[in-house]
Amino acid sequence: MKRIIATLVVALFAIAMAQGVTIGVLSPLTGGAAGTGQAQKAGFELALAEINAAGGVLGQPLKIIIEDTKADAATGVAAFEKLMTEDGVEFIAGGYSSGVTLALVESFRTFQPIVSWIGGAVSGVGIDGFDGIEELLGAEPWFFHVHPWDYQNTEASTAFMASTGVKSVALLHEDSAFGGPGAIAAAGLLQDAGMSVPLVEAFKSTLTGGTGDFRATIAKAAASGADALFWIGYDSDVVPLTSQIRELKYDPQYIFGAPPGWPSEFDAAPEAQCVTGLIGYLPNLPNAEAKTFLDAYVAMHGRAPDNYMAALAYAQLWSYADAINAAGTTDQDAVIAALQNGTFRSPMGAWSFKPSVIALHQGFGSEMWNVFQFQNGVREIVWPLARATAPLASCQ
Amino acid sequence: MRGLTRDLVATAAFAVLLVFLPSVLREVFGRASVSYLSLATNALVLAVLALSWDMLARTGQLSLAHAAFTGAGAYTVAVLFKLTGAPLWLGIPLGGLVAAVLALGLGSVTLRLFGIYFAIATLAFTEVLKAAVQRLPTAVAGGAAGINVPALFRPTFVAGSMERWEVAFLRNQGYFWVYAGLLVVAVVISVLIQRSRLRAAFTAVRTNEQVAGVMGVNPARMKLLAFVLSSFVAGLLGAVEAHRLGSVSPDGAFSVHTTVLALVTPIFGGLYTTLGPILGATVLAGIEETLKRTFSEGYLIGYGIVLVASILFMPRGLVGLASKLVKRGGASTSGRVGGASGGAADAAAEERA
Amino acid sequence: MDLSLLPQAIVSGVLASGLYALVSVGLALAIGVIGIVNFAHGEFFMVGAFLAYQLFVSFGFDPLLSLLFVAPALAVIGALIYLSSIRFVLRAPELNQMLLTFGIGIILQNLALLIWGGDPRTIANVPYRSLGFQVAGVSIGAVPLGSFVISLLLVAGLYWMLASTPLGRAMRAVAQNRIGAGLVGLEVDRVYLVAFALSALLAGLGGVMIGVIQSPTPTVGLGFTLKAFAIVVLAGLGNIRGIVGAALTVALAESLVATLVPNGDALRNMVFFAIIFVVLVWRSRRVA
Repeated sequence: MKRIIATLVVALFAIAMAQGVTIGVLSPLTGGAAGTGQAQKAGFELALAEINAAGGVLGQPLKIIIEDTKADAATGVAAFEKLMTEDGVEFIAGGYSSGVTLALVESFRTFQPIVSWIGGAVSGVGIDGFDGIEELLGAEPWFFHVHPWDYQNTEASTAFMASTGVKSVALLHEDSAFGGPGAIAAAGLLQDAGMSVPLVEAFKSTLTGGTGDFRATIAKAAASGADALFWIGYDSDVVPLTSQIRELKYDPQYIFGAPPGWPSEFDAAPEAQCVTGLIGYLPNLPNAEAKTFLDAYVAMHGRAPDNYMAALAYAQLWSYADAINAAGTTDQDAVIAALQNGTFRSPMGAWSFKPSVIALHQGFGSEMWNVFQFQNGVREIVWPLARATAPLASCQ
Repeated sequence: MRGLTRDLVATAAFAVLLVFLPSVLREVFGRASVSYLSLATNALVLAVLALSWDMLARTGQLSLAHAAFTGAGAYTVAVLFKLTGAPLWLGIPLGGLVAAVLALGLGSVTLRLFGIYFAIATLAFTEVLKAAVQRLPTAVAGGAAGINVPALFRPTFVAGSMERWEVAFLRNQGYFWVYAGLLVVAVVISVLIQRSRLRAAFTAVRTNEQVAGVMGVNPARMKLLAFVLSSFVAGLLGAVEAHRLGSVSPDGAFSVHTTVLALVTPIFGGLYTTLGPILGATVLAGIEETLKRTFSEGYLIGYGIVLVASILFMPRGLVGLASKLVKRGGASTSGRVGGASGGAADAAAEERA
Repeated sequence: MDLSLLPQAIVSGVLASGLYALVSVGLALAIGVIGIVNFAHGEFFMVGAFLAYQLFVSFGFDPLLSLLFVAPALAVIGALIYLSSIRFVLRAPELNQMLLTFGIGIILQNLALLIWGGDPRTIANVPYRSLGFQVAGVSIGAVPLGSFVISLLLVAGLYWMLASTPLGRAMRAVAQNRIGAGLVGLEVDRVYLVAFALSALLAGLGGVMIGVIQSPTPTVGLGFTLKAFAIVVLAGLGNIRGIVGAALTVALAESLVATLVPNGDALRNMVFFAIIFVVLVWRSRRVA
């Protein structure tokens, strides 16, 4: 029986190889991070359909195998090993959660496939005594990181804050691995840019066991007298935070947030008015691909993308297809060179891999970020000015 | 004593089987053995977790603090290597010890709590511990970002003489053996409990503390003993997990999910037995992976249905079902003990594991 | 430490106890009357939140209007779950009940993931969500005030029902003595069915409220569930009235620490569970 299974595995393996290139995807499709995983999956499905409609990869239809990591480290490692040994893939895509990524470091180093990784933004740069993803994997020639690093997010956020001309900023952050180190870095950068930071205050996010009562924290922000509010938290914190700001009649000039995504249909909520936020992709970006991506996405999935993870996944899969086609082979060195030298399409416009602080191949940097403002139910781009669709309006 | 000898011989045979399993997998499946070994390791982790929880449950203490003890083991290892250059293998026994000491402290203040009061108190303890660890100075416990932990195995790749998957196989085999060792330790402790007077004492404490006192059993001492043994194993497990997963963080190390799995698995397999938690872990892990590979979406719905069906159709777990099938026709298992908490499962304890 | 925020902290804490009580009453009924430790209770919140969301998206219903539909829907769901599974484990050990309800929870959570996806949703237009009144320099939120009043009414109503109606007396009878109640001819099974459906209905009310305050997601119930369990246990099993005091204690302590201590909001869960732990341990030693 086992012999038969083994033969079968080998046979399937052979068939997979004969039929062209297969890319293995690791993504959290279930559990607390399912929103991100499903957004990635939707982006991959769209890119896959387009790639194959355009002739596939090396003249054959491209295939992807998506494995659920549940955002759980042990599950993620087993799923990666399945892709490498049972499915025989040579290219890895997807990626989310720093805990899962840290657990995968040893396995990545062992197999050394080409790993193009969206998430795991905790670079470790600037955190003493802790090795982050960029520090551990950035120097590997086969490692390509797509999403900006944490310090690149902070750079964009503080640059926007500085551009508004406010003198002081109250900084609220969720207390786990995402908001904690991020807030320390942000406070430093804000002060470097000449702003004062009268309050840096941690809160318990709804994603990590909190119940969404932020009134005490908001009251402190109001009492701090700061011109603007800057918060770092998760998408599920948006509704309680913005509504309680109004309830407590807290009235800063700007309410600026940097969650990894925004809740669906929040645009239509009255609480959204004048709220600003950091985002990677919006359909009203000035480049042509932004709109075509939206239309194709709606045609396939029936609704607009919920967050920019779909756009990053789409960009990631297309970069693989374009690079392998440019290399004309699946040979690892040739594909690495093609990924390294190529310029790729994305809903955010053209992009390429370039060095960051440590990493050899960093895809999007701080230039990916835009700040939008909810103005009468529409997400207008207000920063950077070159892409702005409307001027920034004060909340007061 | 004959029963004990038989069980220990069976344990030794089981250990030998575990030692050779990786090689067998490799012979049969070749490179695919790498991922099968990882899946088997995940099942071993679940088995150790479940068996250690079951030992505590034998005294009637329904703990929701298991994540506190795996977490304590994990953080012991992480802090040890963050602050000192201790030998690589020192952290694991130390993790077990720290967890055991913690359990002694928790156990002695919760002695008079029963049922759900005990459960919620232990859950609250875990949540407080998680928050406290996160609040410790970053230089010690790493704060919210956590701490990196060195790997136990880092086999080197020798180009030309081996393939890359063989390196992964060697690493996975190393971890598999360590977890197998942990499981054997847990099984031996469990068997020693089940084959000594402790078993009757534990059962007496669980079913009726007053009666236990009359029988000459000291309930407090029994409960603490179970707490310490159970948490020692959980601490060892958490310590090895920290090495294998490469980092610890408060949210990951003290996850409610760990606690829930520790309790669900032995119920599924058969409570108050040695075999039940192991069987439960193997079957549950197998079912989840099979469902995952069969259905692209919603596979966890199937997993939930399996759990629901299991309790409806085999109220005494896999072990209960097996012994019922073996004994079919006999009258001994047909009577259900109603009312008293733990009643039906007590009957399961009568079955040899 | 800024004492000028103290009045606001006290008011916010008192009002926040309303939501805690609201999410706890249904669970108290399940544990107190039926004696079932329902691990799927948090998923009832989640279903309630998503149903309110769906009624808003499909028909533009305000959540207050949705309550009239969501509550009975949850009662029906609760009744179906009771009839198809819970009924068979009433006399089983509580661990069996935990595994069963944990399985039900997984099914509900992943069904929601299939239907609504994992991304947080928004009940976009809730006119009173951001509403606050200033009274003597202290802000009183419409939603916290509303949930406070609703939960007081629910607790009072439930207490009255248990004390003064035939159904309530039957519930207390079976809660105190399962076998005895069966002997005097009460239809125990039917009493349990009604109690469990009622428990789900109450969870539905809490769920709608959670859906208003937060974004409905498949895991939205989790944060409240652990706390609801702890509050029910702090109040004492079967003590419906005690829920008010228990919820008030922890909510007030949370609000004070969150306000008066730097980074205090991040300590909320620690404060909450530390109180639970200390009180339970202290009470168990005092009794002895």
